[in-house]
Amino acid sequence: MELGALVVTQGQNVAEQTGSSAWPVLGRTVLDQWVERVQTLGVGTLSVVDREVSASTRIRTMVDWAKGGVEQILLILLGSYAEVDFADLIRFHHQGQNQVTRVFDSLGPLGVSLLDRHTILKDPERSELAPTRHSSRYDFLGYSVRLSSPGAYRKLVEDALAGRCGIQPNGLEAGKNVWIHPTAHVDPSVRLEGSCYIGPYTRLNPGVVIGSGSSVEHNCDIDIGTSLERSSLLPDTYLAPGLHVRNSVVNGTRLENLDRNVAVDLGPLGLASRRKPLARYSARTVALGKEIHEPCVAIPIKRRNADQTTLPN
Amino acid sequence: MTQNGPVVVKQLPESGGKQRRKEFLAEVSQFARQSYRPQLIVDLPAKKIGPDTLDLLLSCVVQVEKSEGCVSVAGASPEAAVILELTQLTSVVNVFPTVSEAVGVDESYSINPLAQGDSPSVAA
Repeated sequence: MELGALVVTQGQNVAEQTGSSAWPVLGRTVLDQWVERVQTLGVGTLSVVDREVSASTRIRTMVDWAKGGVEQILLILLGSYAEVDFADLIRFHHQGQNQVTRVFDSLGPLGVSLLDRHTILKDPERSELAPTRHSSRYDFLGYSVRLSSPGAYRKLVEDALAGRCGIQPNGLEAGKNVWIHPTAHVDPSVRLEGSCYIGPYTRLNPGVVIGSGSSVEHNCDIDIGTSLERSSLLPDTYLAPGLHVRNSVVNGTRLENLDRNVAVDLGPLGLASRRKPLARYSARTVALGKEIHEPCVAIPIKRRNADQTTLPN
Repeated sequence: MTQNGPVVVKQLPESGGKQRRKEFLAEVSQFARQSYRPQLIVDLPAKKIGPDTLDLLLSCVVQVEKSEGCVSVAGASPEAAVILELTQLTSVVNVFPTVSEAVGVDESYSINPLAQGDSPSVAA
């Protein structure tokens, strides 16, 4: 039975403000985590589209797939990280002979639905937008976090560092729960205190202290003597010398402090800056709007419109 | 209150440029020179603080500490408090939500911060 998967990412505007499935968690984005999970099912067709792409375009994609013989479509509206057992979900869907199965956790719907081909062809708009009439509820009891705020992102990072969820850091374990990517430059005087993650092409200068529960994603540069305490640096961020970053998420020049629930622009103060992204590296391995017709294929990211999907060679 | 010296409340200049900041620092220096263990309470009215503010604050600390005094910051917005913590200025200045708390008296006690340009004087 052919299975297709349509992953709809959060819109860019939402993502910038609240935390995002595009933010890497210990070296890999939540989007990548979802895609890898889907690929283990051996899906025939996988497409990743931005939420800002119109709903009609997304629906047309699903209808085209259904007409092309795809029996079931897994629709994932990104907004959470959840370790859903898709094989079990499909089993549940079959056993109940459901037209639509929606996944819920204790807080409500997770944005994951399994749609039957006939439902899509019969009533495509209802299948994505208001599928409650014929939907069945699949209760998920495993690990899940809604990525609705920087605080939720931090929770996911800390849980991943502590091994409370299934996220595997993209690096080598240099000590107990200390993960360093081989391409990172860590000065010998740097102190890594407890569980932490240092991502690819990141530079930690002399005297830097990375406290427990902290993560530094790819292509960051932390200047002399700066310390991190229960904080995350998102990719391409430079931090000035002598700072003490506590319980915060720093994305370029924007610092979000979770203790006081305020955002501060560090750019005018010269305390942080956005580094030029590395052309040779991206945490995302999946092309937006690109279909993957083989399981477990990772292709370099290239942003495309949803209706410009082509087959990879 | 561990300080025995005079307490002065001063509002940090929000505008006025380099000259105003220079005057402010001169007033603080004079106050510090004339006192033993002075306590300077800097009222931060602005929501955001810029690099000049940080420099000025640090200069105040240098001057006041020469007389074994200390500097407190009052009225810092959450944004300003984050910057003070981030730059580790909180290791050399005490931060209080209000001037009253910085002075260490009951809210009902009347505190009249000096206006900009006024000479510093003993407030408590």
